[in-house]
Amino acid sequence: MRPGDDDLDEEIRGHLALSIKDRIERGEDPAAARLAALKEFGNLTLTRDSMRSVWRPRWFDAVEALARDIRFAVRSLLRAKGLAATVVVTLALGIGANAAIFSVVRGVLLRPLVNRDEDRLIYIRQSAPGLAASNMTFSVPEINDFKSRVTTISAFGDFSTVEFAMIGLGGEPRMVKAGVVGGSFFDVMGLRPVLGRLLNAKDDGPDAAGAAVLTYRFWSTSLDSDPTVIGKTIRLGPRTATVVGVLEPSVPYPADTEIIANVVTSPHHLGATMVTMRTHRMTELFGRLAPGATLDAARAELTAIHDAIKTEHPEAYSAKANVQITLTRLRDQIASPARTILLVLLAAAAVVFVIACSNVANLILARSVRREGELAVRAALGAGYGALRRTLLAESLVLCGAGAVLGVAIARPLVAIVARYAARFSIRALAVTVDPSVLWVGGGLAMAAAVLLAYVPRLPSPYASAFATSWLWRTRRSLGAGGPAGLGLAGGSVRITPGTNRRLRAFATIQIAFSFVLLAGAGMLLATLITLQTASTGYNMRQVLAFDIPPSATGVTGAKVVDFYQEATRRIGQLPGVDGVAVGSFVPWRDAGTFGSGVRFSADGYKRADGEEDPIARLRLAAPRLFGVLGVPLLAGRDFTDDDRDSSEPVSIVSQSVAQRQFPNGDALNGHMWWTDPYFGKPVPRRIVGVVADVDDESVIGRPAMAIYMPVRSVGFGGRLFVHAAGDPYALVPAVRRVIREISADQPVERAATLEDVRAEVLSPERLNAFVFSAFAGIALLIAVVGVAGVLAFSVSARTREFGVRLAVGAAPRRLLARVLSEGVLIAAIGIAAGAGGGYALASVAAKFFGHVELPGTVPVIGAAAVLIGAAVIASLMPAARASRVDVLQALRSE
Amino acid sequence: MAKHPDAQRLDMLHGTLDMLILRTLQWGPQHGHGIGQAIRAQSDDLLKVETGSLYPALHRLVKRGWLKWEWDVSEANQRAKYYKLTAAGKAQLAREQDRWSQLVNAIGRIMSPARAASGGPGSKE
Repeated sequence: MRPGDDDLDEEIRGHLALSIKDRIERGEDPAAARLAALKEFGNLTLTRDSMRSVWRPRWFDAVEALARDIRFAVRSLLRAKGLAATVVVTLALGIGANAAIFSVVRGVLLRPLVNRDEDRLIYIRQSAPGLAASNMTFSVPEINDFKSRVTTISAFGDFSTVEFAMIGLGGEPRMVKAGVVGGSFFDVMGLRPVLGRLLNAKDDGPDAAGAAVLTYRFWSTSLDSDPTVIGKTIRLGPRTATVVGVLEPSVPYPADTEIIANVVTSPHHLGATMVTMRTHRMTELFGRLAPGATLDAARAELTAIHDAIKTEHPEAYSAKANVQITLTRLRDQIASPARTILLVLLAAAAVVFVIACSNVANLILARSVRREGELAVRAALGAGYGALRRTLLAESLVLCGAGAVLGVAIARPLVAIVARYAARFSIRALAVTVDPSVLWVGGGLAMAAAVLLAYVPRLPSPYASAFATSWLWRTRRSLGAGGPAGLGLAGGSVRITPGTNRRLRAFATIQIAFSFVLLAGAGMLLATLITLQTASTGYNMRQVLAFDIPPSATGVTGAKVVDFYQEATRRIGQLPGVDGVAVGSFVPWRDAGTFGSGVRFSADGYKRADGEEDPIARLRLAAPRLFGVLGVPLLAGRDFTDDDRDSSEPVSIVSQSVAQRQFPNGDALNGHMWWTDPYFGKPVPRRIVGVVADVDDESVIGRPAMAIYMPVRSVGFGGRLFVHAAGDPYALVPAVRRVIREISADQPVERAATLEDVRAEVLSPERLNAFVFSAFAGIALLIAVVGVAGVLAFSVSARTREFGVRLAVGAAPRRLLARVLSEGVLIAAIGIAAGAGGGYALASVAAKFFGHVELPGTVPVIGAAAVLIGAAVIASLMPAARASRVDVLQALRSE
Repeated sequence: MAKHPDAQRLDMLHGTLDMLILRTLQWGPQHGHGIGQAIRAQSDDLLKVETGSLYPALHRLVKRGWLKWEWDVSEANQRAKYYKLTAAGKAQLAREQDRWSQLVNAIGRIMSPARAASGGPGSKE
């Protein structure tokens, strides 16, 4: 029904024709009639417009008004390009950081898993707070007990992580991390294959054929998604398995493995130790809630059963260990390590946003003070309160909209960075991409900022006329009696009121305060990192190259392995550039956690108090000359020799802290120790032939650790090779690999790295922490500097006249410079004080939620304060210089 | 808006234009010019409808569904838009007429308590 423009024109033409005809019939002259008719009709265009506007929806008018305001805002902002650019970039940083972190938080903490009915999927963990074991996993007898007694959980799935030397699926033999699972695992997890089939109950038991499922990541990245892989046979250590399927993309938990195989592929899983020993724990346990059962009900039932099991088997659950059981939804379990760090990042991003907003508020406030005259005149001319607010809103909408667009644009690369970072804590972050929530977050933040900012400046409207009059009056007065009032508009005089000044300074102080919190936090992380990186480890870090030479590649054990080690050591030792070579069992830090927390032992003459358990020491294997190669000094006695073998006298070497604690009289040498863990069977006293310095190979922060070394030769196991290089260590890698391959073609040689690089690798989460936080702090600092500089620049330009007068009456320019500088420093000092107070208050609040909150030490706090004061001085320099160089005549005349 | 100093025309009382249009069209379809002339003639030249108000009002009534239009050739031998009451328009006219007489009654009682129903200068409104 809506008429077009032609339709309207024709209707008007028809009207005019009738009107003219009437007049001619009444006897008017045709030309005169035509003129009269047009005159009578009035404004053609206006009438046509109002006819057309009848058909427009109502919101059209509001939008049109806003569009007009926005056009006006764009034009007036184009005249203040510097300010607009600063505001847009500042907001973009704030919005981009928030949007990026938010999408990672959403992806990691809130998104459901792909597993079927993932909210019924639970993860069960056994821990022993008394032994500082946060995850002691389960043994097969324990799992069988649960299976036979629990009713609230319909099915259990078990998963244990092993390493296989894998041959097949392309390339040379190599070690792969693999999961070994029972037939119920995939059904409990609720996962599907993308190719072939997964493992089921038929794959259970010792008589099933070896079967393996590839994880999607391994299949798609290492095998280029090759569909012909199904049905291929692979060697896994001594056994073989057929590839039966590829798992759909899913969160790999508890371990990121490349293959998942059935129990028969791992001889260990079929052995008596695994099946019957209650304390042989290496299996992770998952469960699916029975229909109708709640998590709380399952928790209550499982805890009760666990307590019953503990009473039935007191020997496996010592009172001191305080073994506990916990149930969590798998989703929460996966997210939990990332939760704290992500929430901290979210808080940091929010702080950056607050800083950005207060900086922008500052700039806008300063701008609106400059525009006070313009606003007053517009109010005097009849612009209502709403119209003025709308003008300001349009302007802040333009600024914040541009900021949001830019922010969302930079959110994309930021998400990639943050996701890679968060992947260290939660595997789910790997799958995080920019999602539409970024747009919502960006847009929402921009709208919030726009509305806030539109309400920052004071409006003249409520007392519009009085205000305008007084403003005009003031202007005229300042111009001198005769000057025309209108000139004040063009002159753009700025009058800074105490209220505005206070607000400007308050915003600048807020920025400094928040920047201080971020800087101190970043300083703390950096300090930790530096401590870790420079801590003395007791090793020769630069020249020692470590290799993994996993033993079970060909299923050969015992004497043959020892022969292999001996031959490899001999031939590598003859290579040019090799100062020393030895076999060990443990690459410092890289192998942390793989040997458990230690083994119980006892020693000559050591009497334990009633109820006390045997001490725990780290069990390590060492070949002759290992200590020399690693640079660990031998404090007493002798090193192992090639004669220390299983047939000769059992010997051991202990670390200094074992010698001191177990042999307080200093008679460790030639004393005896023996392992008391039932795993070693009947205790065999081993003569202590040497004492070496303490090293901490579990943690880079060296703490004295009790360690006891046994000769590789007597155990027939090692798996790690250490080469002391004379020159560039990495230059030796190809030669070492070639030599080993010559001896045993199937032997994997992997992960060559100097100890220094191993430590760097281990520390990379800390480094990333410090990097990300420093980046935030850097952004905050930058914004705060802009803020302080802006406030002072504004204050100086508003006081040009004051400075002119001061200079005119003889003030030294240097004094003015110092004055403005001290204003900047004062803002910074108040901000730092507020930040310190607020930060500690915040930390004590946070401590209630997170338990322990680490507070930065003195050095980071003082450092952050110094950086901020320095930044404030730099930010004040330009305005201060301008104040001291005010041209007296110009300043006095300008008003 | 109507500020013709030459005539002692009465300004259109706010909100009555729609009713007058509907009423005029009761006699049959008419084009805009004809509606304007009819209102003028029937009010003895006291009411004059400006084209600037008339046409937007016509379109508003069409939009509300009280009128519809069709094109026809006018007496000036040119295509013109003829407006016509719809059923809804007729109902609306009846409603407005009721309301109007109630209003006139009420105002009349206030302005001339003695029930001077005609002749007073204010009664025309």
